[in-house]
Amino acid sequence: MAFYIATIIVYGAVDSMACLALNAEFGFAGLSNFGFIIFQAVGAYVAAILSMGGWKTSNAGFQQYVLGWHLPFPLPWIGAALAGGLLALPFVFLVGKRLRGDFAAVGLLVSAVLLNQLVTNFVPLFNGAAGISLVPAPFQGFFNPQGLQYQFAYGGVAVVLCVLVYFLLRRMTESPYGRSLRAMRDNDIVADALGKNLRVQRTSMMVLGGMIAGLSGAVLVGFINLWSPGAWGYAETIVLFAAVIVGGAGNHKGAVLGAILVPLGFEEITRFLPPLSNPALVPALEWVAIGLLIILFLWFRPNGILPERRRILSGVIGVIEPVPTGDDSDALINLGKIDQMDFRSLLNLETASTSHDVILLSENLTRAFNGVTVVADVSIEIQRGRLTGIIGPNGAGKSTTLAMLAGTLAPTSGRIMYEGRDITSMPSHERARAGIIRTFQLASEFKRLTVLENLVSAIPRQQGDTFWGAARGRRFWGQEDKVNIERAQEMLEGFGLSQYADSYAGGLSGGQRRLVEIMRALLAEPKVLLLDEPMAGVHPSLAHKIGDQLTRLVDSGMTIAMVEHELAIMDAFCDPVIVLAEGRVLAQGTMAELRANEEVVEAYLVG
Amino acid sequence: MSVFLSSLGFGLITAAVLAIATVGFTLQFAVTNVLNLAYGSVMINSAFVTYYLNIHAHLNAWVALIGGVVTGAIVSYLINRFIFTPFQRRQLPPITIVIVALGVDLCGTFGLQAIVGGSYFSYKQSFGREWHFLGMYLSTLQLTIIAIAVVVLGLIHWLLKYTKLGKAMRATSANMNLARNSGVRTQWVISTTWIISGGLCGLAGTVFAMDTGVFVATSAQLYIVLLLAAMFLGGPGEPYGAMLGALTIGVATEVSAAFINPEYKEVIAFLVLLGMLTFRPYGIFGKEKTL
Repeated sequence: MAFYIATIIVYGAVDSMACLALNAEFGFAGLSNFGFIIFQAVGAYVAAILSMGGWKTSNAGFQQYVLGWHLPFPLPWIGAALAGGLLALPFVFLVGKRLRGDFAAVGLLVSAVLLNQLVTNFVPLFNGAAGISLVPAPFQGFFNPQGLQYQFAYGGVAVVLCVLVYFLLRRMTESPYGRSLRAMRDNDIVADALGKNLRVQRTSMMVLGGMIAGLSGAVLVGFINLWSPGAWGYAETIVLFAAVIVGGAGNHKGAVLGAILVPLGFEEITRFLPPLSNPALVPALEWVAIGLLIILFLWFRPNGILPERRRILSGVIGVIEPVPTGDDSDALINLGKIDQMDFRSLLNLETASTSHDVILLSENLTRAFNGVTVVADVSIEIQRGRLTGIIGPNGAGKSTTLAMLAGTLAPTSGRIMYEGRDITSMPSHERARAGIIRTFQLASEFKRLTVLENLVSAIPRQQGDTFWGAARGRRFWGQEDKVNIERAQEMLEGFGLSQYADSYAGGLSGGQRRLVEIMRALLAEPKVLLLDEPMAGVHPSLAHKIGDQLTRLVDSGMTIAMVEHELAIMDAFCDPVIVLAEGRVLAQGTMAELRANEEVVEAYLVG
Repeated sequence: MSVFLSSLGFGLITAAVLAIATVGFTLQFAVTNVLNLAYGSVMINSAFVTYYLNIHAHLNAWVALIGGVVTGAIVSYLINRFIFTPFQRRQLPPITIVIVALGVDLCGTFGLQAIVGGSYFSYKQSFGREWHFLGMYLSTLQLTIIAIAVVVLGLIHWLLKYTKLGKAMRATSANMNLARNSGVRTQWVISTTWIISGGLCGLAGTVFAMDTGVFVATSAQLYIVLLLAAMFLGGPGEPYGAMLGALTIGVATEVSAAFINPEYKEVIAFLVLLGMLTFRPYGIFGKEKTL
């Protein structure tokens, strides 16, 4: 019985480490790593072959494998963690770009299936289907691995490692970097447009998760002393996913709870079932139960037993949840204090220049989708310190043009210049860091971040918003983060939404979400702000209040270009105005000039 | 040369089965945007219904096949209606639905295994005589399967090109909201598509089992690798691309098996899949979605 308890402790710690790592990838970074088990597997193999002697000399050469360096502890474990991290690198191309999450996931799933087949069939690597056995337990020359004391000590080491992993991951996720990870999870295209480097963020978490998984494999193989392809079928990943979903994705404690309930719990409960006539029945039913568990939990309790916890940044106790109301509520949003807000100091704006030189321009910008040209030869100029309007009928190519200026979409041909530099091939997150910030036509808030977190996440150049910055801990970035939170709160107060600081952004009304998006874009400290229909679906009175503030921003030195449908808004606020129709520039000038232009009037009446 | 031609024969039969399966799989993706990873489990369950009709109801295997087709249609319809659709109504990201599909797959495959056990099964059916032509060796059974595939894919072509339902399916696939606003009964189109594609799934499962000769409850578990490779090669949601993708993958796996090593024959499918996902995730002729 005592041996059994020691075994349970080791298994529990190994499963917990694996689930913590998977949860960091899936629950925080939004990476659905359907091949997760191969990272644990490679760790186990590497730890095994590093600790064993050469295959020809050890154990009479009955098993074949590579390396066999006979390294002392802890080198095999370190090697295992490194191998797990390295294995992540070939998959970076799958998760790095904007491949649909489910496409990348099946790519990883299929990779896991195929790697298992390769290892099974290619004997010289890891002894094929039979697997590697007689893996030496660490320190077996000094202690007796069969002894009870050794087994408990091993369990103790495993638990200590698990606790270290827990605190390491918590340090990473509860930092500004963790906030950026969750922002990417909630909406990657928007995070990209705000300057988050998706490839770096995803790679860092794949590598970190891979290292932890590799280490967990090493701990396991040092205890059970054997490892074969049967132990890491692709479906084992699904078990770990079930664990994270049941425990609570995005919650470290949930991951540990899930690990104890699902992989460990299922294994152990079936040990106590009476023997059945059909020995295959129990494992089959176990799989059915895992499948049902996933479906039922995702339906009835999608956030798991321990849901992701809300981060209260405002320091105020008690959260006001926005009450869902009709669109009329937008009219009641009180922007009363906004006129006292000093945009220039809050947003680090450069002093307003008196010359309206061209800051951003496009030359013969063209975009085709599947042979259909949506934008053709668009050459426009955005002048510094002005509020330029872009108007045109549906399908005129306004949003496509804006997306190309911001880098969300690559042009088919043409050139984009920003402050005298050619930025045509600059990725969107770099443009954002260079000062070009865009908003989106469709709702784009980070749903499971609070309103305040949405705002703070956009602030550029945060010390804690890099992998290594986060690793240095709160002492390194805490002071700066406090200042950033205060800046965001000041902004929130100006826009009259302070009471919702700690509410989830996903629960706000349409108009409130628009304001959150505008505030967030402003805190990204744009030099050029590109707004895609910021007033769509907003109550007219609120739209005018927003327009007044845009004028103030422009007067404080910001450059804004705004796509809009409403002529009234253009009349009131925009100068100059560019008219697009059927993908081409039809005319530009002041609204008064355009109203005199017959072609423009016709395009609007006909279009 | 003779090795090449005989492996080409195997390739054609693999491709025939794969084409039926992939067209069903890709149609489901086209109208509902779901990567139905439970597809393989429906295939093998349908094959087992055919088995029971064949062995226990003493029906001719080709007649029993109809039972497999009907099973595939009904089960697929039910999975979409009572599992995928409710989840999609909650506006969840596609990945959640894929995880749900994996759950369904586990229930389907291992539920079957719990019932039938781990033993081997085969239909009571003759392979017929062996035909030798153009350097290829194919049995009557295999030629029949190829003929079935040609007829069924021809019917799908007719359905998509010349019927009102086919046009509605293509419209729903291109833009569901626009189709609905233009008067297409999208919910009905989706249900019908799942019934038709489910029928293809059941048919594919049965002919897959006939072709392999001996099968177990978990035989189709890894078939998803070939399905995904064929679909992504032709472009997800593109039925004609799926046919071409299946032909390429089917022939490529069998020919590479003959020349390299049969144990690694899926490797080529895997490389194709990863290559497509990396460089052309919308297929060789696939369409990029607009913003």
